[in-house]
Amino acid sequence: MMKILAIAWKDLRSTARNVPALVMMLAAPLALAALLGFAFGGGGGFDIAATKVVVANLDGGGAGAGQTAGAAIQTVLTGEGLEDVLETSTRSSAAAARQAVDDGEAAVAVIVPEDFSAVVYGGDPAARSQVEIYENPTREIGGSIVEGVVGQVLADINGARAAAAGAVALAAAGSDPIDPRVLAARAAEQFSHDGGVSAGLQIGQRAPRVGATEEEVSVTGLILAGMMVFFMFFGAANVARTILTEDRDGTLPRLFTTPTRHGTIIGGKFVSTFLTVLAQAIVLLVAGRLIFGIQWGPLDAVVLLTVVTAGVAGGLALLVIAFTRNAAQAGAIGAGVYLVLALLGGNFTGTAQTGTTYAFIQRFTPNGWLLHGWDTAMRGGGAADLRWQLLVPLGFAVAFFFFAVLRMRRRFA
Amino acid sequence: MKLAAVLARKDLLQTVRDKLSFIFILVMPLAFTLFFGLLFGAGSSVDQLPLAVWDADGGAAATQLVAALEESPVVRVVVKEGNEFETWMADERAAAGLLVPEGYSAAMAAGERADLTLVSIQGSSGAATVASEVRTLAGEQVTVELASRVAAEVVWSTRSMPAGAQEEVVADAAAQARPIVAQALASPAVSTDVVEAGVAAGQIPSGFVLSSPGMLVNFILFSLLTAGIALIVERQNGTLQRLMTTRLRRWQLIGGKAAGMFLLTFVQQVLLIAVAQIFFGVDYLRDPAALLLMMVSLSLVASTLGLLLASVLKSEQALIATTVLVSMGISALSGAWFPLEVTGAAFQSVGHLLPTAWILDGLRGIVVRGFDVADVLPALGVSVAWAAAFFALAVWRFRLSD
Amino acid sequence: MSIVEVKELRKQYDPPKGVLAVDGVSFDIAEGEIFSLLGPNGAGKSTTISMLSCLLRPTGGDATVAGHSVVSNAQAVKETIGVVPQDIALYPDMSARENLVFWGRMYGLSGDTLKQRVDEVLELITLVDRQKDRIEKFSGGMKRRVNIGVALLHKPRVLYLDEPTVGIDPQSRRSILDGILALRDQGMTILYTTHYMAEAQELSDRIGIVDQGKMIALGTHEELVKIVGQAARVTARVDHSLEAMAERWREVAGVAQVTIEEDEAVLLTDDANEVLPRLFEAAAAAGSRITEIDVREPNLEMVFLHLTGRALRE
Repeated sequence: MMKILAIAWKDLRSTARNVPALVMMLAAPLALAALLGFAFGGGGGFDIAATKVVVANLDGGGAGAGQTAGAAIQTVLTGEGLEDVLETSTRSSAAAARQAVDDGEAAVAVIVPEDFSAVVYGGDPAARSQVEIYENPTREIGGSIVEGVVGQVLADINGARAAAAGAVALAAAGSDPIDPRVLAARAAEQFSHDGGVSAGLQIGQRAPRVGATEEEVSVTGLILAGMMVFFMFFGAANVARTILTEDRDGTLPRLFTTPTRHGTIIGGKFVSTFLTVLAQAIVLLVAGRLIFGIQWGPLDAVVLLTVVTAGVAGGLALLVIAFTRNAAQAGAIGAGVYLVLALLGGNFTGTAQTGTTYAFIQRFTPNGWLLHGWDTAMRGGGAADLRWQLLVPLGFAVAFFFFAVLRMRRRFA
Repeated sequence: MKLAAVLARKDLLQTVRDKLSFIFILVMPLAFTLFFGLLFGAGSSVDQLPLAVWDADGGAAATQLVAALEESPVVRVVVKEGNEFETWMADERAAAGLLVPEGYSAAMAAGERADLTLVSIQGSSGAATVASEVRTLAGEQVTVELASRVAAEVVWSTRSMPAGAQEEVVADAAAQARPIVAQALASPAVSTDVVEAGVAAGQIPSGFVLSSPGMLVNFILFSLLTAGIALIVERQNGTLQRLMTTRLRRWQLIGGKAAGMFLLTFVQQVLLIAVAQIFFGVDYLRDPAALLLMMVSLSLVASTLGLLLASVLKSEQALIATTVLVSMGISALSGAWFPLEVTGAAFQSVGHLLPTAWILDGLRGIVVRGFDVADVLPALGVSVAWAAAFFALAVWRFRLSD
Repeated sequence: MSIVEVKELRKQYDPPKGVLAVDGVSFDIAEGEIFSLLGPNGAGKSTTISMLSCLLRPTGGDATVAGHSVVSNAQAVKETIGVVPQDIALYPDMSARENLVFWGRMYGLSGDTLKQRVDEVLELITLVDRQKDRIEKFSGGMKRRVNIGVALLHKPRVLYLDEPTVGIDPQSRRSILDGILALRDQGMTILYTTHYMAEAQELSDRIGIVDQGKMIALGTHEELVKIVGQAARVTARVDHSLEAMAERWREVAGVAQVTIEEDEAVLLTDDANEVLPRLFEAAAAAGSRITEIDVREPNLEMVFLHLTGRALRE
């Protein structure tokens, strides 16, 4: 046991003196987390830069109405509450508006046709009019925001028209002596006055309930968890790779000439790999708390997750070492394996694809489960809430260690 | 010039003979383009997103809403109740959860505001899609109810109301008006016509179209690793110094190295683009001249950056650490992983300091919007400026030995 | 009393078709003696030492160290021996002291004993002043000294040194050889491999000559050179009529044998000092001039040449 610790201590000390290794293990995940956190506005919510929109309101007005329906669209787009999301300006013609999008000056153009008010306020039930939304297809999100906003205005207009149609039909059925046009106008006005669709429906949003709480998780926390798991793979690989470099440099054969059992030497390497990533995880967790103010979750969950994550990283690194010939090969193959796992497991994409095929694929990777576990812990889940998120990766870790030991026993026996 | 070419050729040959580089440079990026393409593109239109529904109301309107959701091509309804619903959501097994609270149907029937609760993880794009579908379907339902009620109220306001039976008569009239209202809403007078600028007729940008340029940039940057390591190994084993004992001049050596990296990344691009064009249906060849300019830009930036990293860094390990960090950082900042559009304003402006962000805009413009040479010239300019700066720094810092 | 006994040791890599690196080698080493394995590169010296260090499992035969079998009781063997590998096997990013402390633990030392032994070894390898410097900053000779020092920490009864002087300057070599002799004088048994004849000759109590996996000769230096006989070998060239000159020299007192090889005469004699003036006299009498003459006292090089027909150093 003393010898195992001596080997582990030697490797830890060696890692602590190795600047590139430290950069890779500690600076890289923190820097990337900071960068991505910055990308998504850090802290609590997603912060999206305002989408540039141009409006060409060609609406020629309708019969008798003071304000045109086209102006209503324009008002909503420039209105209160959306100024952070949309930055709207006007163009005098449809061509100019489309040109603005083509030139990249705006992401979306909204073109209200000339007959718009005429159709909205006219009595012809068969008349139709279309508002053109001309968008840059590489700017999907801005486009969908504008589609939503304009769609809501149109839904209210259509609702008002439907209310009018209903009222006219009812009056006709009851042979009421009232002018259908007056009735229609009154119904439409009433519908708008009541506040339209948005007044009739409210959709609230909350986070999933974990344990007893429904906490929203900080974006930076999610990102750092992903980066931490990813770079722990590399941290473990750095130490595990010393098995091969020591073999090359002759210190491993020399160790085998000392009265130290082979099992003890390889065991020492296993322990130092595990301890190194454990230390890495602790530093990252503490740094995340201090620098980004991340609430990692209940202590029991965090402790268990940290240990299991270190186990998975260590086991995987040793498995890669056990099946590669030399350090250079281990470095390159390892990097490939970790990258594949990280992309499949969602280290870079987080929980963005919840419920899709991707989420299903994530379940086949140990890091997918771990990320899910960290996510649950940050939402306030204790050890009991993340049973499977601990047991499944633990199973992976045990399997990795098992096959690594099996292989190493044959190689270094 | 000839000597530099010989050197570049030797470097390429060594890379091609290295199976690992081959995997890194070609196999992995193709696999990932395929993976992300399927995931974000083809996948999302074929797959229905799972939506856990907990109908705690059970009334007519609630049942109708659930039925409408079950008809939807966007979501796949999974009925879960109580604790099971919460567990499903906590385990993130559904894209989102819809809780229809008790009183939903009653509120709607009374013309009052009806409440729904969506349970989702912030920032999930799947959840956003589901939320928009729920909003649309519930919105339609609410519109029918509200409009029918308004029609009934307006009509009855002109009639004399039977005493004490106000609520019943209005409800009856609303029921009577509902089919007409629903019919009117089924073919609305005003609607939107969404036009995607520059998209070839009939084409809908698939997931591959959006993922392919990002993966291209990402992996071209990653391949700096192989090229950089080769240079460091040459410095370590002394062949670099030995090269300088030959007739080779310093600028020829550096130029040859840079040319080798340029060719490597260019060949890599040709292969990746060919596969994307032929097998994934990404139309890179809409404007071959513009494409060529962007490929040259990317290879210029990548090769000079690779040269700079290998010039400044001493050990293999330092290079791996730095390259992984730098290439991941640049990829993320320039929008190779996610469109810059979803990020904050500050991030976007930082991103557009990088040539790769411009190149990505150019590449995406070519495949999606039919950019021509004039459209990509700014990207070329920015790239050449950066490449020149990288190259100058690399030449200045270039070391022959440790 | 033999402390190392090697019996018919064999090693074949990748049997049954692989290279037979060691082919039935046997020898004993007495306690307190320096035993050298001499042979060209690739003769099987390192493979033999690896088997005696329990790093490689023999394909056949066995060896015992202090009565323990390297096959069945590796652990006991390792506690008895100290191994100095051919290449520097140390941690370059750790200081000399840190290396010694680490390796000491691997040899099962701890606490005060460990500290005391590290101090003693640092003294012995004269690196007390530089003990806190990292190995990577050391010169080649200093690294060699630490490399040896590590194997001495646990006071092994037997020390194996595998070509410890390859590629270092004459001064460092001298100090290492002196160190080895000093260790022998303290009673340590030493197994030494080399392909430098002079080193083997100077250091060893006994020498085993190996070639192509086989022990081709074994004994003290004196015993070995007797294989080629007592004779010194004199080769000479003359300006003309070599044949006639050879006939005359055959008559000279003290010359045992004269042969002609290409353009020179090869003479064997028991005492070159006595014979040489007579050779010049005979040449002068015949009107010939000796243009080149070379005398070789018997040595290991000649033994090797005699036994294998090849030179020791290729």
